[in-house]
Amino acid sequence: MPSADVAVIGAGLAGLLTAVRLAENGARVVVLSEGNGALHWAGGPIDLGFRPGARSAAAVVGQLARRRAHPYAVLGADVAPALDWFQRLATDLGLPHAGSLSGGFGALPTAIGGIRPVSIVPEAQAPTLQPWAPGERLVIAGHAGYKDFWPRAVASSLARPEVWGGFSRPDQVVGVAIDWPGLRERRNLNALRIAEHFDDPDWRAAALDITARAVASTGSGPVRVGLPAVLGLRDHARVLEDAIQRFGTPVIELPLVPPGIPGIRLHDVLRAKLRALGGRILIGERIARVEATNGTVTAVATEAATRDLTTRVGALVLATGGIAGGGLVGDPDGAIREVVLGLPADGPPIQRWLHGDPLDPASLPIAAAGIRTDDALRPVDPLRPAEGPLFENVRVVGSLLAGQQWMVDRSGDGVALASAWRAAASLEATAAPATRSSRGAEAVR
Amino acid sequence: MTIASVVEAALHETVGLSTDECLKCNICNEVCPVARVDDRFPGPKYVGPQAQRFRLAAPVPINLDGRPVHSPDRTVDWCSGCGWCTTACPAGVKIAEVNNRARASMRAGHRPRLRDWLISQTDLLGRFGAPFTPLANWTLQNRPVRWLLELVLGIHRKAPLPLYAGRSFRSRFKRRGGVLGRVGEVDLPPPDRAVVYFHGCAANYYEQHVADAAIAVLERNGFQVIAPPQNCCGLPMISNGLYPAARSKARHNVEVLAEYARLGYRIVGTSTSCTHTLKAEYAEMLDLHDEDARAVSAATWDICEFLLELHEEGRLDTGFGRIDLDLPYHAPCQLRSHGIGLPAMDLFALIPGLRAVDMDHDCCGIAGTYGLKKEKYDNAMRVGEDLFRRIDASGAAETACDSETCRWQIASATDRPSRHPVEYLAAAYAAADATGTADGTAH
Repeated sequence: MPSADVAVIGAGLAGLLTAVRLAENGARVVVLSEGNGALHWAGGPIDLGFRPGARSAAAVVGQLARRRAHPYAVLGADVAPALDWFQRLATDLGLPHAGSLSGGFGALPTAIGGIRPVSIVPEAQAPTLQPWAPGERLVIAGHAGYKDFWPRAVASSLARPEVWGGFSRPDQVVGVAIDWPGLRERRNLNALRIAEHFDDPDWRAAALDITARAVASTGSGPVRVGLPAVLGLRDHARVLEDAIQRFGTPVIELPLVPPGIPGIRLHDVLRAKLRALGGRILIGERIARVEATNGTVTAVATEAATRDLTTRVGALVLATGGIAGGGLVGDPDGAIREVVLGLPADGPPIQRWLHGDPLDPASLPIAAAGIRTDDALRPVDPLRPAEGPLFENVRVVGSLLAGQQWMVDRSGDGVALASAWRAAASLEATAAPATRSSRGAEAVR
Repeated sequence: MTIASVVEAALHETVGLSTDECLKCNICNEVCPVARVDDRFPGPKYVGPQAQRFRLAAPVPINLDGRPVHSPDRTVDWCSGCGWCTTACPAGVKIAEVNNRARASMRAGHRPRLRDWLISQTDLLGRFGAPFTPLANWTLQNRPVRWLLELVLGIHRKAPLPLYAGRSFRSRFKRRGGVLGRVGEVDLPPPDRAVVYFHGCAANYYEQHVADAAIAVLERNGFQVIAPPQNCCGLPMISNGLYPAARSKARHNVEVLAEYARLGYRIVGTSTSCTHTLKAEYAEMLDLHDEDARAVSAATWDICEFLLELHEEGRLDTGFGRIDLDLPYHAPCQLRSHGIGLPAMDLFALIPGLRAVDMDHDCCGIAGTYGLKKEKYDNAMRVGEDLFRRIDASGAAETACDSETCRWQIASATDRPSRHPVEYLAAAYAAADATGTADGTAH
């Protein structure tokens, strides 16, 4: 039986950040995940919170923190230090993120020709945080025949002022479809394949050259170039630098349908960082059961081909996601089950799981279902919170925390960051030295 | 087909119906090593969950009774079967298994291609080749012969084929008085003092040093080794869509091994792909759900999994001598399908001086017999390219891996030996015994 100081269940943003933070502090961490986490779908921005008309993410965090049900009521104060840590970490890992809590919002155009309000973005989306200058144009460029990105359709949507929802916007939006070299012959072209092409310096030089000429042909004057989010996978920083240099303009990567290349980049560097810190990450591990005595989790078993694999743990972090992520399951009888420990969940009655226009983000009150915790993020019974934590050495992070309407509040990443920060700090403070010296402790490396 | 039989079939049908859970999220396409290198393969999502709607539209919704179920095209044949799609799927869809069954359906009712049939006959090739080891090895290493093999059969001339090791493990084991019989034919030590060894074809005919190392390590820890009659686990046939042949191999193995399993003996194997086949694929791929098959599955252990469990129980002799070595380790795809973590890495950590590094690469490319095929060899080499490059760059003298075909692929591509983890454990025990002469090499 292998052992670890902490097992983190789930490999999304919250799980990986908790694991890295714990490993930075010297804990032996194993991440167990049923599949690849939601970062593989992510388009780049780190959402801390947004409300129409809000001046900054800090203001929204403050508003949400005053709502007793929202995780920020517990975590609000940790958003700033967690974000600071995340931005330093991401920079160290070669993926610097621009923006700040107090710096206000920008509008990031997307591959369906809409906009997404953003406050923290990877470098390749940083220009969206700057207001557009008078006369400045946006040129949307992409490969002709790449079915996930239609530059002219994107441009014609973004050319409508109402799409920008009151944000600063370009004077004019133009779309150009380009033939990037050698792609016409390729079948099954997806974002990942194009991103790998951009990692190749020779192909990249040729593609950027053709793109630069196509952009220049649309007219003169100040311009920003919007491209699908495919600017390299492993060598992204260099690809971006080359693009900016070749175009002589700011460059914006537009998020696409999954797979999300910006999210995969972040996943890959966090995974590599965790491994470099001695952590282990196992994908394809469905939790079979958890062993606990007297409110303390002692081991976690994952399903295997024949017999469960049991890992002895000093603490457990649940980063399994909410209803959308699979950490919670809604039964037809209206019960909401937490899948790993069977924790009592807080959520609306079945009559109010869904209501109204299904395309309205507010039509899914069930999204706010989750686990209630104490200040240390230990799970409590939502009906009897005063009775204290249900498990001494369990922490709940990310979208499994109750009270988030993440599609409405747009606070999902902020909760992930702050809860990772808080969970790591609280586990650090209570680390049980016994688990560190137990027999077999040297086994997990 | 009666309603009851449909219900009964559906109860076992955890593979085909799992596609219901597919969200079309593309994560499987993104992790697929073959789609990464070959456009002719549209990716696991397209040939798996998406093509499944055509297969489900067939008159019999699931291919349990051997009837062919139609795929929209033949591209599923480019799948190497590495299983990464199933591992990475966040929704629990058994994509690789769906694809494998689709390939078998495509092949059902047709005579198999001679090449595919031949490379699946690992038993036969071993039995006929071993007595003629010098000649066979000369043939396998002879360039014109290999060129001819490629031309006539379609086995790539550069594909890594193993060399025969002379007399089989079984005949040598017999000569030194090893227990080879079935239950009832031989005197047996109690089940807590002995294990059944599933050596597979590789250790029997090509890599007897692996079998020797396994036996040394098991005996060191107080287990007598029994090697009952066994044939190929059937995996090469499953991979090539030859289910009926695989089933007959499986039935024979199950019949013999179940006798031991029911008496409480554990079945330990050094080939991580054979042990996974005994554990999971007899049920998932070949629909063997009877009590005997279940007993064999429950009793089967990969050797590193078994040794780590001994360690957990405090029963593993940890008196390992020093081996000063940098050791890149590749975890084979089949090991990941076991879901047992990285037991070899945990065991390596017990050997003083051994600096093992998990290479964290998806697939070496070979995928059993995939990389042997003329039309698939290039894919296999490109899938493993990054692994080979990093091993080269590491400057390490040798590498470790739990699966034989991966070892042959990695050794051939990096031009340095690749060994089974248990060989290092055996060497570390030997180093401890040869006090004062620990020279830090593993052989």
